Amino acid sequence: MTRSKSLIAAGLFAVCLLVPLVVRADYNLQVLFRVFLFAALGLAWNLVGGYAGQLSLGHAAYFGSGAYAMALLPPLGVSLWLALFLGIILAMAFAALIGGVSFRLRGPYFALATIAFAEVLRLLAKNLPSVTGGDVGIQVPSLFAHAINRSFYFAAVVLTAMAFSVTVWVSRSKFGYYLMAIREDEDTALSVGVNTARTKLKALFLSAGITALGGALYGSLFLFIVPDQVLSLDISNEIAIVAMLGGAGTVLGPILGSIILESASEIFKNVFHEAHLLIYGLLLVVVVMFLPEGIVGTVNSLLARRRATSATAAKSQAQRNSAP
Amino acid sequence: MALLELQRVSKKFGGLIAVNDVSLEVEREEVAFLVGPNGAGKTTLFNLIAGMLHPDQGEIVFEGRDISHTSADRATKLGIGRTFQLVKPLRNLTVLENVMLGAFLHTSSTAVAAHEAGQILRFLQMEDVAHLPALGMPQAKLKRLEIARALATKPRLILLDEVVAGLSTSEALVLADLLARLREWGISAIGGVEHVMQVVMRIADRVLVLDHGTMIAEGTPEEVVHMPRVIEAYLGPKYKEFSK
Amino acid sequence: MDAFFSALQAILNGLLTGALYALVGMGMALIFGVMRIVNFAHGTFLMLGMYATYYIFEKTGLNPYFGFVLASAFLFCLGYLIYRGLIQHMPVHSDFMQILLTLGLALIFTDTIQLTFGADYHQLNLPLLAKNVHLGPQISLNAPWLVSFGLAVVLGSGMYWFVMHTRIGRAARAIAQNRYASPLVGINVHAVQAVSFGLGVAGAGIAGGLLLPVFYIYPTVGDQFTLKAFVMVVLGGMGSIQGAAVAGLVLGVVESLTSLYWGNEWALAVDFVIFLLVLSLRPAGIFGSQRV
Repeated sequence: MTRSKSLIAAGLFAVCLLVPLVVRADYNLQVLFRVFLFAALGLAWNLVGGYAGQLSLGHAAYFGSGAYAMALLPPLGVSLWLALFLGIILAMAFAALIGGVSFRLRGPYFALATIAFAEVLRLLAKNLPSVTGGDVGIQVPSLFAHAINRSFYFAAVVLTAMAFSVTVWVSRSKFGYYLMAIREDEDTALSVGVNTARTKLKALFLSAGITALGGALYGSLFLFIVPDQVLSLDISNEIAIVAMLGGAGTVLGPILGSIILESASEIFKNVFHEAHLLIYGLLLVVVVMFLPEGIVGTVNSLLARRRATSATAAKSQAQRNSAP
Repeated sequence: MALLELQRVSKKFGGLIAVNDVSLEVEREEVAFLVGPNGAGKTTLFNLIAGMLHPDQGEIVFEGRDISHTSADRATKLGIGRTFQLVKPLRNLTVLENVMLGAFLHTSSTAVAAHEAGQILRFLQMEDVAHLPALGMPQAKLKRLEIARALATKPRLILLDEVVAGLSTSEALVLADLLARLREWGISAIGGVEHVMQVVMRIADRVLVLDHGTMIAEGTPEEVVHMPRVIEAYLGPKYKEFSK
Repeated sequence: MDAFFSALQAILNGLLTGALYALVGMGMALIFGVMRIVNFAHGTFLMLGMYATYYIFEKTGLNPYFGFVLASAFLFCLGYLIYRGLIQHMPVHSDFMQILLTLGLALIFTDTIQLTFGADYHQLNLPLLAKNVHLGPQISLNAPWLVSFGLAVVLGSGMYWFVMHTRIGRAARAIAQNRYASPLVGINVHAVQAVSFGLGVAGAGIAGGLLLPVFYIYPTVGDQFTLKAFVMVVLGGMGSIQGAAVAGLVLGVVESLTSLYWGNEWALAVDFVIFLLVLSLRPAGIFGSQRV
């Protein structure tokens, strides 16, 4: 990243950290927590869904892993921060399993397999109440003892900063190029020596880890989780929509998507409460039919086209000027 | 020791025998052409050599190593580069970025990859389009992009499937001259063509003729063009009498 | 001996359910297997079929065994319009985008139904429902299931015949094999695809209508069927309509036995497990060719 862009990004994140000086109400801090949480989740999903082009509709599996790790491990004597870490490991283990099974397959099988896997986890959580509390749910200890909402808000900002940095690194590195090659055409990627299975898996590990962190924070803030909330298709869909709306395969897209979606869902709370599936559905259809690159992606494309036409216009102008 | 050896390689798809008991050798710094009508098995052979498919019978040996069951990415790492008959540019990347993809095989640095990609584009006379998106490039440029990307992987053998298909004759001849220079870089090539014979005649050291999966002739371009079996395969038995 | 009869009862019930599953699966095989359109709203269309049939019954008293015909006509039109209006005009045609589009449609339809009819579970009230057919003292089969089963078999065969032996069916298969050559032999690709899509959706709707007498009706009832449909297509082998039908029967029996021995709540999980197993071990499915 260029120095000026890095400074701007760092500055913006610093500003975000100062927000609690102005915003004090617990409720509002929780809303902001959600915005940053989903920005981070969207960025994490973006690695697999945007850069690698693999449509995962089962990211709830990793989110839920992080949350349930925080619920199940501390009562066994594990420290909170270690539980957080182990939640990440658990999510990565699931990623290895899912990836191992479905990355070998082309087409929509990957998406279906991700859904299937997340649903299996949800059903396991529901049907094994002695372990997970079942449908009734289970308590989650709080990571922070003081200034709880503010601390979780900071944690969400930090998580987003992490996810953002990872995304920026990926977008400029050999790894990122390989992911994009896989997205565009797997045969071509193979032909230039990319081990597509292993590369996809690496992206999924990164994605799963960040998502699990998000899930752990979420569970820890709200102190109570149920399978239909943290392992649901709803969460998987929301994450995917945040990234797609903002722009899959871009660095800023998921952040913008989260700001838009999460604030809208807060402002239009009642509507969203009644009809949020309808709204998600409409957003998906609109994105697919009119904004397949998301907002940021579409803007990028328009700018690129403007640059290309002015470049060719300049070239032909120069040719005309130099012609006899 | 030959650079590449195929020993009695066969490949079936269900009931269709795509490659039938084919044996061939390619030496270092040699340009060989696989010639044959569509459906003759050229692309299947390329896919077999490149590792996208694996033979049902027979062996493929590259630089003394059995690569019959090696994956495609491993084959590239071992030194076999390839282009595709239907060009597959990565549309949302620029021309330069496409080629960088190949260059990344030997470096992890984006800067180094960009530099090497740039050099190859210069060799193929494509610097002017380096920063344009691959989307919307004309066919002739896309063919060169394919070659550039394959060259960036620093292969010792490059497979060029239908590399001149879809080009006008003059475009094809220009490309052929560029390809003839591959020898300078120490790269052997196997090209596959259907019928752009002028290209073949100009730059091939050897020609191998395929018909319905079987190798029916082998020799220099001059020799092969006059072989009765070859004429029969291309033009039908009526024209056999035109061989000498 | 009792254990044997319990198992036999479960198997027979499973076959009855399986026939309806088969209808859903065959529609999906047509859409996904033959047309290569990924339809994540398939189960939702089934749900719409149920609600349409239910609505017709509530408003006009028309027996669902006749009402489903009207409902499926409605769904055919819906499917046709969705193809013509949306799928045909997608700016990016990838599987990725099709999944998101159909997923979006599924969410829209599901929530609209929920907002219109409420989220409550309903069940139909028909005198037929209480009747049972007894095969000996140990086995009893619910009459409406038998009727649905019979209709499903007839309609399933009809669908198979249609795809294999009519011009449109052949055209659809031709498009699946070679999309670019099809117009050259006079096939209007989009028209054929729209009709085929409409038929596949109607198939799901019919299954919904036939399920109405024997199932609870609620807005999200369709979601499980989408996955079941994909399981059937994968299990039966891509593009194989008869494979999907057999897979439907298998699925019905497996679910039924799972319910018997492990309880209802695991039946759905078993679907997923089968799906993941098939994908890992034999992606080509039972009747499949190498097209995965």
